[in-house]
Amino acid sequence: MSDSIDLGLRVVDRQLLDSDERRCGKVDDLALEGGPGEELRVAAILSGPDVWPNRGGLLGRLAAWIGGGGRVRVPWNEVAKVDVQVRLKKRAPELGLGRGDDRLRPLIAKIPDADR
Amino acid sequence: MKIFQVALGILAAIGGFVDIGDLVFNVSAGATFGYQLLWVVVIGVVGIIVYSEMCGRVAAVSGKAVFDAVRERLGFRTGLVALLSAQVVNLMTLTAEIGGVAICLQLLSGLPYRWLILIAGIVLAVVVWVTSFDWIERIFGYGGLCLLVFAVAAAKLHPVWSAVGHGFVPHMQTQSPLLYAYFAIGLLGAAMTPYEVYFYSSGGVEERWSPKDLGLNKANAIIGYGLGGFLSFSLMIVGGSLFLDKGIEPEFLGSIALGAEVPLGQIGLLLALVGILFAVSGAAIDTLFSGAYSLAQFLGWEWGRYRAQTGAPRFTLTWGVLLVLALGAVMTGVDPVMLTEYAVIFSAVALPLTYIPILLVANDRSYMREYANGRLANVLGLIYLAVIVVISLSAVPLLILTNVGQN
Repeated sequence: MSDSIDLGLRVVDRQLLDSDERRCGKVDDLALEGGPGEELRVAAILSGPDVWPNRGGLLGRLAAWIGGGGRVRVPWNEVAKVDVQVRLKKRAPELGLGRGDDRLRPLIAKIPDADR
Repeated sequence: MKIFQVALGILAAIGGFVDIGDLVFNVSAGATFGYQLLWVVVIGVVGIIVYSEMCGRVAAVSGKAVFDAVRERLGFRTGLVALLSAQVVNLMTLTAEIGGVAICLQLLSGLPYRWLILIAGIVLAVVVWVTSFDWIERIFGYGGLCLLVFAVAAAKLHPVWSAVGHGFVPHMQTQSPLLYAYFAIGLLGAAMTPYEVYFYSSGGVEERWSPKDLGLNKANAIIGYGLGGFLSFSLMIVGGSLFLDKGIEPEFLGSIALGAEVPLGQIGLLLALVGILFAVSGAAIDTLFSGAYSLAQFLGWEWGRYRAQTGAPRFTLTWGVLLVLALGAVMTGVDPVMLTEYAVIFSAVALPLTYIPILLVANDRSYMREYANGRLANVLGLIYLAVIVVISLSAVPLLILTNVGQN
């Protein structure tokens, strides 16, 4: 892996994988930090419906409304590795990711044979 | 053992290639233009081989499926448009396939149509719920092989083989070139339906393909889809031999099955109906999953039958909702064959949004390393991109100008 990376092409819109290789959202946007004259620094990954209006205009706003809002900020130092996926150091619940799946799971689990 | 498994996969791919779109467009094209459009099927089949090999390779090397690539390469906004159009077309196709399942069941059992829709829905849901991915593919793929009865029927109908051969050479002998073009677009759209690549690439991830499986990917794509194309030829030859110049338009799925009954009798009819039943049921599950795959991949949710229902809750909910929506739509009594025509033509419009990202990602060396596209894949990929753009731009004008192929 080279020491430079094209953030727009290689990080934004990539799949987030937690430390258990669980898919837990996309890199919907990045939070950059730095004052005037300073170098820009990636502070965090932003993920979740509340980021979509900035990315998708009117359609993005509609999608965010259907998606129920919410935004998770994952500090960049929680990123373990960027390859074709963005791999995180911790498990999704510790970072506040994958909550939609976690909330729905108990309901699905009530149906017989749901863990086959 | 390995070869045995490869052969099983290929058999499933042959049976899984034909869906209601291929049935409708191949037989109607035969009924309207005889064997003249056989060459178009060849172009369509090579196209689906080129792009499914590509997206299968991407899946094997990177573990990613088509809608991951769509999101990464088109970005959120354009990707969202691609997602929406894919979902609309997918739901139309799913509705048509379920309608097709109910029609087959009705022809086999004589029970009322609406009850059979409900039964079809319940059976599909239970099968998807309790069966592993491999077995879903196999059950319906092997059942779909009954469609080979159409190859026997095609031979038994004693077509003029020189005319069949001439059909593989591009030519046009007709007073209605627009209708000819409409059928050409429909045949290409049916052969290259986007859901096939959504499903194929996601299936590669479901089966946990790695670079070791690239040979399997190639064999599945080339031999499986190639022989699937052979089934398409048979359907068109049957349509041409039986219906052309007799003023019969195969507007019902039942009349397609007649194509096997006339030369082969009761057993031909039965095999044809069972083959169509398994082929459209399998396609119903493919489209059902494709809708859920696309949404989950676009939004980064956990997905896949290999994760079990509790491992991918939102994916599971999505296919459940799609199934209920489609069942409701079939219940309205919409004609599945008509809906198929619209679905195929509209999917043709959206083709570039699916195929451009695949071509881009398959060329990305940071992604694909030494497995990136070679020269052959790129030359073919680019040629087909041009074909797809032409199809996409002309699909709706032709739909309107020919009054949905009625002229």
